[in-house]
Amino acid sequence: MDAFWIIVTGFLVASSTGMLGNLLLLRRMSMMGDALSHAVLPGIVIAYLISGSRASVPLFLGAIIMGVVTTLLIQFFSSKGKMQADAAMGTVFTFLFAVGVILVTKYAGQADIDADCVLHGEIAFVPLQTSSFLGLGVPAPVWTLLILLGFIQLVFWVGYKGWLLTSFNGEYAKSIGIKTAIWHYTLMAATSVATVVSFESVGAILVIAFLVVPAATAYLITDNLKRMTLYILAQGLVSAVLGYFLSEWVGGSISGSMAVASFLLFAVSFIWSKKRGLKSPL
Amino acid sequence: MEIFLKYLTLQDPNVRYVALATLLLGGVSGAVGSFNFLRKKTLVGETVAHSMLPGVLIAFLLSGVKNPYVLIIGAATSGWLSILLVDYITQQSKIKGDSALAIVLSSFFGFGIVLLTVIQSNYGGEQSGLDHYIFGNAAAMTPEDSTAFAWVSGLVLILVLSFYHSIKSVVFNLEYADAIGINVKFIDGLISFITILSISVGIKAVGIVMMSALLIIPPTAARFWTNRLVRLLLLSGFFGALAGWLGAFVSYSQVSMPTGPWTIVIISLIAFISMLFAPKRGVIYQRWSKLLLKRRINEENLLKTAVQNEVRGLGKLFNRRSISQRQFFEQRLWNRTVRRLRRKGLIKKVHTGFTLSTEGRSYGAEIDRRHKIWEIYLQRRMQMSINLVHDEAETMEHFLTPEIEAEILGELGLCSRFNPLLEIHELVPDTPVNAL
Repeated sequence: MDAFWIIVTGFLVASSTGMLGNLLLLRRMSMMGDALSHAVLPGIVIAYLISGSRASVPLFLGAIIMGVVTTLLIQFFSSKGKMQADAAMGTVFTFLFAVGVILVTKYAGQADIDADCVLHGEIAFVPLQTSSFLGLGVPAPVWTLLILLGFIQLVFWVGYKGWLLTSFNGEYAKSIGIKTAIWHYTLMAATSVATVVSFESVGAILVIAFLVVPAATAYLITDNLKRMTLYILAQGLVSAVLGYFLSEWVGGSISGSMAVASFLLFAVSFIWSKKRGLKSPL
Repeated sequence: MEIFLKYLTLQDPNVRYVALATLLLGGVSGAVGSFNFLRKKTLVGETVAHSMLPGVLIAFLLSGVKNPYVLIIGAATSGWLSILLVDYITQQSKIKGDSALAIVLSSFFGFGIVLLTVIQSNYGGEQSGLDHYIFGNAAAMTPEDSTAFAWVSGLVLILVLSFYHSIKSVVFNLEYADAIGINVKFIDGLISFITILSISVGIKAVGIVMMSALLIIPPTAARFWTNRLVRLLLLSGFFGALAGWLGAFVSYSQVSMPTGPWTIVIISLIAFISMLFAPKRGVIYQRWSKLLLKRRINEENLLKTAVQNEVRGLGKLFNRRSISQRQFFEQRLWNRTVRRLRRKGLIKKVHTGFTLSTEGRSYGAEIDRRHKIWEIYLQRRMQMSINLVHDEAETMEHFLTPEIEAEILGELGLCSRFNPLLEIHELVPDTPVNAL
């Protein structure tokens, strides 16, 4: 049963982050997942210090606020401060991460929190947090992730047209009066929510992997956005299953193994697309 | 203060290595980071730093010891592989650079985490400390580490100096460098090599994220102060070294404060201050010069319109309403502009309105003159329709320098005392273009 819940959790993370990763990939913002997952650390620590508990809700709030702040800061530095876009991102997230680590060290005595546990949450502990519902032991993280997935699906399909347009042709979208900035910030906010919610249960590394690798795998196979989302879900499922058994086999971290499995699938689609000569410049 | 002096004079033998090592590390990575910065590939450092984890662990597994040199070789090898893989993915598929970086980062690091957990459950005490390669531990630095930093700094310096001109061409203009016969691939590899070298010696001291920050932030800060490569390199190295040195001081003077994060906070502050206060490129300077420009444009518009009104025989007296018929001024803007013009002595207050002073009149006439010159230029040389030239000239009149003006007059065959206080229709009848 444990194996089942771990795989379900992995799949839920893959599908919710994958949907957003899809858009990040098209907008050439794939490193944003890496940046956000580091930058939210001070938000989590501050929320923890204020609320005094490790309850999920305040930590989520802290992290989500921090995620949005990060996006705004990056935007501000690159547009108002005239920093090179990639450098603005690198500066902001490493700075915030450093602040987070300092806060953790400073309050390490009073708090049972450390950067290691925040960033490297372990999917293996998911089945331990089971709460009973309808006679079925469903782990708490699965509930949160289900809600997240529902939320992201809703946001994604409601905003589908807007994102399609703003991702593929920002200039055109702007010219017909679509507020591209709003779409940008909605996507960033959704990405921070997804990043935070998921890495509490599976760890940052798997979030970064699932944000981009399934999307890239699908991107190599198809040009159709709807079909891409379908392939992403399939990719996530296979990586979760494959990763779980890989970790059983070598006896190492499950999250890490799922990331590796996801990469293996990417490699397969890479070779396949190369064989087929799919190299259309999009 | 006392403790700062103690730190400064390096009396404490424990701090000597740490201070020296962080100083060297900051300096080298600041300078090396500049090259990646200028090529807009700053996040390469982040991917390389993460990708070194499996290399370190495999080196440990193969050798069975935690010899720093062996682990550095392992780290450098997997860092190198990660760069090759990123390049391969971007060249051989439609995946873009940023996605390739994220893919390689997450899979290498994920693989590293798997290895780390396997090692931790199978090895006893001899593996402890390997996780320093994730978060860094500057306090645990040994004299050997500082020696390694010194070697690396020297090597990087020699390489950069001996290939300086080729690197410069490649960084600024790849196609040009290729065309003049520079071995672009080699220089590309060289930049990757020094990047990997500095990251691989640095991660154990400051950790993965802090190491990539040391490559990104110093050049970002330095870029606000200079446009020249030499100065960028020196300044970026200086900022990095300063931050490393101060970071080590904070860690030394405060109990249990980590060096790496403090170094990053300090270098970030340097970057923020640069962004705000740097001359020319700083936010405050730019805001200020924009404000001054807006003011000047309003003043010039007012003076020009007053002169035009005079020429058209509308009288010497003007007020907001008479000016606004041609050039709209909102009440508050009018008040402010008038106040500044009076202070400069360009206009005078007369009981019912304002008149131009002699200087004000010649200034306004000059603006009007530039406007006309530009209109004629656009019409004759750019063959623009007479209906369109006015709007273009409205903006250009504020930016024409006397030099450009003289050049245009020369080209149009007009004398420099040319002073058409006339409308363009009266001045240039619809001459066919080929007649010119």
